Amino acid sequence: MSMRLPKQVGEWIKRDKEIHFTFEGQEYKGYEGDTITSALLAAGVKVLGRSFKYHRPRGVLSLANHDINALVTDGMDTNIRADVVTLSNGMQLKAVNTDGGVIKDKSKYIDSISPLLPVGFYYKAFHKPASLFPFWEKVIRKAAGLGIVNFNYPRINKRKLNAFCDVLVIGAGPSGLSAAISAAENGLEVILVDENQQLGGSLTYDYAGEEAAQKVLSDLVKRVSASSNIKVYAGAYAAGYYQDHMVPVVAADGITKVRAKAVIAATGAFEQPPVFHNNDLPGVMLGSAAQRMMHRYGVKPFKTGLVFTANAHGYRVALDLLKAGVNVSAIVDLRAEGQQDTQAIELANKGVKIHTGYCVYEALPFKGKLGVAGALICPYDEATATADVKQAVKLDCDGIAMSAGWAPAGALLYQSGMGVVYNNDIQQFVPNRLPKGVFAAGRVNGAFALEARVSDGLRAAAEVANLLGKSVKAQSVMPHQGTSPSHPYPFVHHPKGKNFVDFDEDIQIKDFINAAKEGFDNIELMKRFTTVGMGPSQGKHSNMNAIRILAKIRNLPVEKIGSTTARPFFHPTPMGHLGGRSFHAHRLTTIHAWHQAAGAAFVDVGAWSRPAYYQKAGLSKVEIVQQESLAVRKAVGMIDSSTLGKVEVCGPDAAEFLERFYTGVYRDQKVGRSRYVMLLDELGVMVDDGIATRIGQEKFFVTISTANAPAVYREMQRWLQVWKLNATLINVTSAYGVINVAGPKAYQVLSKLVTIDLSEDALPMGRSTEAEISGVPVRIVRAAFVAKEAYEVYMPSGYALNIWKLLLEAGKNEGICPFGTDTQRLLRLELGHPLPGVDTDGLTNPFEMRAEKALEMDKAFFIGKRSLEIIAKKPLNKALVPFVLPADYKGELPQDCNLVIESGAIKGRVTSVAFSPSAGRVIGLAYVAMHQAQLGNIFEIRTDNGKIAKATVVHAPFFNAE
Amino acid sequence: MTELIKTSPVIGAQKKMNPIMGVHQGMEVALSFVDQKIEKKHQAILGVTDVSCFARFAIKGAKAAEWLEKQGIKTPEVVNAWLEGAPGTMVLRLGNTEFLVEDQATGNACTKLHAFDQSNTQDAYQVARADAAFILSGSEVLNLLSELCVLDLRDAALLNNALVMTQIAGISATLVRESLAGEQVYRIWCDSTYGAYMWEILIEIAQELGGGAVGLTCRFQ
Repeated sequence: MSMRLPKQVGEWIKRDKEIHFTFEGQEYKGYEGDTITSALLAAGVKVLGRSFKYHRPRGVLSLANHDINALVTDGMDTNIRADVVTLSNGMQLKAVNTDGGVIKDKSKYIDSISPLLPVGFYYKAFHKPASLFPFWEKVIRKAAGLGIVNFNYPRINKRKLNAFCDVLVIGAGPSGLSAAISAAENGLEVILVDENQQLGGSLTYDYAGEEAAQKVLSDLVKRVSASSNIKVYAGAYAAGYYQDHMVPVVAADGITKVRAKAVIAATGAFEQPPVFHNNDLPGVMLGSAAQRMMHRYGVKPFKTGLVFTANAHGYRVALDLLKAGVNVSAIVDLRAEGQQDTQAIELANKGVKIHTGYCVYEALPFKGKLGVAGALICPYDEATATADVKQAVKLDCDGIAMSAGWAPAGALLYQSGMGVVYNNDIQQFVPNRLPKGVFAAGRVNGAFALEARVSDGLRAAAEVANLLGKSVKAQSVMPHQGTSPSHPYPFVHHPKGKNFVDFDEDIQIKDFINAAKEGFDNIELMKRFTTVGMGPSQGKHSNMNAIRILAKIRNLPVEKIGSTTARPFFHPTPMGHLGGRSFHAHRLTTIHAWHQAAGAAFVDVGAWSRPAYYQKAGLSKVEIVQQESLAVRKAVGMIDSSTLGKVEVCGPDAAEFLERFYTGVYRDQKVGRSRYVMLLDELGVMVDDGIATRIGQEKFFVTISTANAPAVYREMQRWLQVWKLNATLINVTSAYGVINVAGPKAYQVLSKLVTIDLSEDALPMGRSTEAEISGVPVRIVRAAFVAKEAYEVYMPSGYALNIWKLLLEAGKNEGICPFGTDTQRLLRLELGHPLPGVDTDGLTNPFEMRAEKALEMDKAFFIGKRSLEIIAKKPLNKALVPFVLPADYKGELPQDCNLVIESGAIKGRVTSVAFSPSAGRVIGLAYVAMHQAQLGNIFEIRTDNGKIAKATVVHAPFFNAE
Repeated sequence: MTELIKTSPVIGAQKKMNPIMGVHQGMEVALSFVDQKIEKKHQAILGVTDVSCFARFAIKGAKAAEWLEKQGIKTPEVVNAWLEGAPGTMVLRLGNTEFLVEDQATGNACTKLHAFDQSNTQDAYQVARADAAFILSGSEVLNLLSELCVLDLRDAALLNNALVMTQIAGISATLVRESLAGEQVYRIWCDSTYGAYMWEILIEIAQELGGGAVGLTCRFQ
């Protein structure tokens, strides 16, 4: 049966554009501009979902995303907010959290056993016997959560943008619109954000049967449209407040991070439900929800209804209902004095019966609790909050509109650091302290009358303008007049409970009382024990009521209870929005494309992507690495080492800088010579190592290991500042490519490309020289990291690819073989070189690594020296030793981090291990106890399968490197 | 021996788009990608051009400004600013004592600067650099930058000749706005090893917004 009203002034739907969709397998039609919920309501569908815990039927509560009664899935997305998501053609929708459909949900029986399932029951149950817990865990996990995660969800890019303005106005109701217009007229650049699809806030639905509000709206929206200083984000919510007025604004297609000079929160207020038995039946809804339904979507909420109210707004709702053709059978006003204004008189004149000092004691369900069959109303004593059930009267109706009060939508203001005070005139928390640049206006600030809200927006705009250097006349706002818009205690106790405070979590009044009895009588504790406000609505419709209940339980004024702060984001936000576009910054050398084409398997090293080895059909990774290593040992190999950190240290104090920064001696280093550098931290822990080549009297070229380069360079900069030396640091990591040519035929290959003598006599280990390859200046450094006969060739990085190709061509006859980092690790292990970060950890000192030769303890200072002096006085606990397994070892290969065991106790660990084809056995490095470190000692390694491998301490290198 | 040429740090990423390659200022770069008409359209909406090939000379040290002035190169008086230091040559002041000189399509100052023997100059040290450099143009360029950079880069916020050193797409970069043949464009420099990543991100967003790659030929014809 259609509940669609004739065309309404200002409605949001386009009746000439039909949209077809299905819900729970049934076909329906709506109009463009309808939300899923409004289209279903128009089609007469009242049951939209099932509650989270008790699986009670649920319909509309707020129609504003302040509750989650109507969550649906279209098969791809889950937990779609049906109240606010606009309808589109072809949607095939189902309610979430049902087992067998929203009407025939098999889990509805849970409602009948709800007395067995009070809040917190799962904290106490299921622990004994422990053997049954896995069973209960499965049951609980199945019952928990809403919707089913779609693991096949496609990646849909949601952009995260940045935007800037003078003033961000959040909320486009009368206050926000007025503030935005005024700020723009004062020359400020304004961004205006509203979560609704159209501007206007309550001006789009709260009419009280009149047209005055519509005229105000029309005027304000026209002025916004005409202003070039206002940028509007409609259908987007301000999700949180962050430092320096940064507010993420979430829309369907992404997030815009707005940075403003000032923020005006005109965020309004959430209507709060009065609490009575069965207040969650489909057909029982907030007054503002009924108004939204009628005026935005042209849908009649029910045919015959009553309005249960405790403020003036209920009378406005009743007038709107009457105008829409609803038979308003009565107004039930909780307040003994009722409402004494023109709207009350108008309603009385129209024959609406007004019961003052009455409550709805319970909503009467029809079969299956699928809707409202009537209401039982009773006299109500506000002082004792009790209903006189003896005088109960039954009223027939198919719907109830509820208006008992409001809670400020102050989440963003709380996040900004707002202080609040409780205003008894309006029974609401209002700001009494706001951070600089943050302003509140409208209902969130305690202004409720339309004129007051407009004035408050103008006041806030004037204050912003003056803050931002304009000179604008201050605006005043009339204090609230008339009755309070919120009732201090709109709760009707009922022996059967089911008087819901939090609809997300099915929390009833008795749950709060029980929580307090158990000692959870502080608002923060009560929140966590009852889970009030912890559902997807984040307390929008329940937190204020929870505070009022707790105040009553503890017999304290509301302001003594305090309030919780909702964390960002304001509404649950899809992970895809938070993720945004994938930004995975990675560094590539100029030779990278060649590596790719050559079949490299890549590995991440810091931010770099490096070839680990070059794949060959039919060979395993281990076989390839062994082949590549043998090529280096027997002929020649080359590796792209461009990822090495490289720093030039220039100036008169360049040598002095190195003397202090590293552990060795550099003052007397000759130009053209290279020396090993070791960096410690101030605790004497080894951080990094590399090579320093003196390339001028006042210029050194220093290498840093790939992964440590950014951190070491930062340390260099920091210490240079501290020491105030006359030296300049130049990070040339990217400026130079490096190719390491290694192996007995390296000399032969490289000599084909340069005119200088590279022989052992002319360029022995530790020397460097400048040369040219095809006219390109290069630096060649003798360094023995992977082989004794090795040359590091440095060139401007733009030429690296072409020099790489030249080397490949030059080494063709020698069988030159590119190798990757996995092979490099094996090669250096064969030489017995420890790798910082692999063979060291965050505590390793040079003594444990047996690297005393790298320490010049006679120097006046180097980083970590004082710590080393202290460490040197204490006995060492461990030492890094080279080891081999027997040549005929057939057991499981030990892995990095396998433990060294002695008599069942841990004595150390393996740091590097591999089978070396050159040594013909398994070789490695391991930390062992000092008494195990002697040459020839045998120690035990426990492998992953629990077996013991016997290892022998040996000298490195592990093979005859000559 | 044959003189070697350099390769653009972006070349690996560009080659997936099958560009017509060529050599400019000694570097192999993408001259064009598709039909010139389409590239012109991209340029107007959101065009991305790799100009890593432009010659550069960088210098650092207390006497860097003095040294440049001696070579006839004007330098910005304040930090984080740029100017045309010689005809067709941009001079960027990256810090109190650090400068980047870049020849544009028509400039030739860098070649001369490289020719000076600078090894004995005290307190002015030549800096070897390898930059990936890009030109961004078109009506949607601010839309793109609003996704990649947290700074306000609109006309009112980014003064003429201002230079910002910031994070773009999560990596350190330098950005300026300039007028190129009457068109307002943004210039970005970043570490060359991030060049391929930067190119891929710029092109991905540009294509989403209706733009795309623009070759050197189209940009400077």
